[in-house]
Amino acid sequence: MTRLLKALADALLVLFGVSTLVFVLLAVVPGDPVDVVLGESAQSADREAMREALGLNRPLVERWGAFYLDLLQGDLGESLVRREPVSALIAQRLPWTLALAGAALLVVLLISLPAGMLAARNHNRWPDRAVQVIALLGLSIPNFWLGPLFVMLFSIGLGWLPVSGNQGAASVVLPALTLGLSMAAVSTRMLRASLLEIMSQPYLRTARCKGLDEHAVMYRHALPNALAPFITVLGLQLGALLAGAVITEVVFAWPGIGTLLVDAIGQRDYPVVQGVVLVIAFGYVLSNRLADLLVARVDPRIGAADTGAGT
Amino acid sequence: MVRLAITGLLLVLAACNGRDPQAIVFAVASAPTVLDPRLASDAASERVNALLFDRLVVLDDRGEPVAQMGRWQQLGPRHYRVELVPERRAFADGRQPDAHDVVATYQSVLDPALASPHRGGLAHIESIVAVDPSTVDFSLSRDDPLFPLRLTIGILPAAQARQTDAVETPRGSGAFAFQRRSGNGRLELRRRSDGQRLVIEQVADPTMRTLKLLRGEADLVQNDLPPEMVAYLADRPAVELTTRPGTTFAYLGFNMADPILARRQVRAAVAHAIDRDAIIRHLFGGRAEKAESVLRPGHWAGVGDMQPFGFDPETSRRLLAEAGFGPANPLNLVYKTSTDPLRLRIAHVFQQQLADVGIRLEIASYDWGTFFGDIKAGRFQLYSLAWVGVNSPDILRYAFHSASRPPAGANRGRYHSVVVDRLVEEAEKLQAAQAAVLLREAQRQVHDDLVYVPLWYEANVAVSGDVSGFAPGFDGNYLALQRVMKRDGH
Repeated sequence: MTRLLKALADALLVLFGVSTLVFVLLAVVPGDPVDVVLGESAQSADREAMREALGLNRPLVERWGAFYLDLLQGDLGESLVRREPVSALIAQRLPWTLALAGAALLVVLLISLPAGMLAARNHNRWPDRAVQVIALLGLSIPNFWLGPLFVMLFSIGLGWLPVSGNQGAASVVLPALTLGLSMAAVSTRMLRASLLEIMSQPYLRTARCKGLDEHAVMYRHALPNALAPFITVLGLQLGALLAGAVITEVVFAWPGIGTLLVDAIGQRDYPVVQGVVLVIAFGYVLSNRLADLLVARVDPRIGAADTGAGT
Repeated sequence: MVRLAITGLLLVLAACNGRDPQAIVFAVASAPTVLDPRLASDAASERVNALLFDRLVVLDDRGEPVAQMGRWQQLGPRHYRVELVPERRAFADGRQPDAHDVVATYQSVLDPALASPHRGGLAHIESIVAVDPSTVDFSLSRDDPLFPLRLTIGILPAAQARQTDAVETPRGSGAFAFQRRSGNGRLELRRRSDGQRLVIEQVADPTMRTLKLLRGEADLVQNDLPPEMVAYLADRPAVELTTRPGTTFAYLGFNMADPILARRQVRAAVAHAIDRDAIIRHLFGGRAEKAESVLRPGHWAGVGDMQPFGFDPETSRRLLAEAGFGPANPLNLVYKTSTDPLRLRIAHVFQQQLADVGIRLEIASYDWGTFFGDIKAGRFQLYSLAWVGVNSPDILRYAFHSASRPPAGANRGRYHSVVVDRLVEEAEKLQAAQAAVLLREAQRQVHDDLVYVPLWYEANVAVSGDVSGFAPGFDGNYLALQRVMKRDGH
């Protein structure tokens, strides 16, 4: 219970810090929200009235207080450009980002688990080297290049998958692959390193001496113990998938919060930028907390250390 | 984690739609932000709103007002009467628009509570009265012989116009009826004449737009394609490329408040160093025309015989030397631009061309919001932008009058000319024919003062796949969608 409360307090502190930072940054960057609403041809009286209506005449601290007051009531404000509640805009887009993140995570798991194990079991032999080279490639190729490359191959060349947008479930495959591959590269390397460390432990030698086959050694003893750092990285990656899917979403015209954020930044639609950044920060905090809980479950020693038990 | 990922996939399965092969898919770089003609100010929203809402007046290729829903007559210097034409289209609900709809629409635009970006241009409307069901009287607080040019707001049903929130389910009397808008930037319309479905889909990345067209996932794209992509598409037999001269006027702007650029000879040195022909030929593949003024020569107030600042490096070097700059004391300037790849490429060409005459140009590229914010705030020496879809002579007041410095207008270069101010003000009091004379004179003065280096009018380029009958609008409008047909005869 204490740990949960501590985690909650940490999460709230992070969200408070992020939202304050975003609020201050948006207040100081060039660009006037009044221009966004009224255009450049507005009369000065109208501009003044709009500044008043948006509360821009008030001191920064007062605006900051009002922002939090609204936030506590679940009010993220209204989009200056679309004139719709920010929460409604985010609610429309968030499922798409979650779906893409989920599919990309599946790609990460489907690639990194077998690849990491294959590399560790064949340490310093050709499968290990091949996995490392492919992982390095995955890390080195930027998404904005990889995406169109996949499209050229799978959509234009082979005609298997749609180019972009929302045309059935197949539409998620290419963006998820694009997004998932680079992350799978990180996870694969992490799992490989973790497995190699575990596999050199004396208790695994003992297991082998007791007559367990390599398969059982890997799945029953090595993998569960190597999963903790792997899950931690996955937690970070899930957060990054929520935040970092921006480029992939734009390239594939995927209607998630990434494209919403990019549009809002270009249009200086401050309430939308604030709302989306807050959601992304929340996603980061949540995914990391989930990863912590999962790590504590797969490795009870970590959970015990966190609560101070056993000391 | 696996469960979370599978849940994500299931969400996609639940939310995705299959493609309707009978629908015409128009892939655009930017989706319309609002479907309310009173609030639309970005080009994408304006163009889509023109499909959904008829207006009292539309502007033709020469920028002249033409009746769409209403014919106007000037009853006095400050009094206009608009008669709704009997052949006007009905609203989507079947009711024919009447004078009350017109009054409600214009009154709502003038209502500060709506915060319409069009209010400034119509602020001199004193009263709007429905004389009878098909007649509306506009009374103005000042003379405005060009008032019909301003009657281009889409007309809403009165009940919708009375809302002070943005209309989300538009019911205009335009050629298309609104069907559905998804949160994903996808807009579905139905052509009222034959029921043809039209899907307007945002695909921000130009490469993906091109690939979608080639794979048949999109039927049409228009503009916003990099020149190399246009050249690539021109060679593909599966698609048809149509080009039409455009009104988008690109220019290189100076900050006249900058002590160096306030000197005309320095600005002229820059102008003479730029080889527009080479840029048009190599970067645009010939799909642009040299420009001398913001209004095209074919516009009713355009100038056809402006003497260009030709490419002349020798003159440029001489002017720089006269201004005190040379190899020992080179002129250093900072040029601001956006992060758009084509604009950056153009910036690098400028850098090279200016370097050839001894000007060191530093390129500073920013995201659009920061770049535009800096330009409006006057934090620049040189920048380049374009006026998109300009068709009204109001642009001359808006961009060059000394009272139009931001935030009151778009005189971003902080230009001040008593002559231009007077010409623009006087033109506003005259009928079109006399006003045109003064407006041309004002443009000559602006050109001579080198407020901008006028660059080019970018051509409108449309690429169509499985459809016929589409040609780009002169100002980039989408009105040709009224005639476009699927090739299988649908």
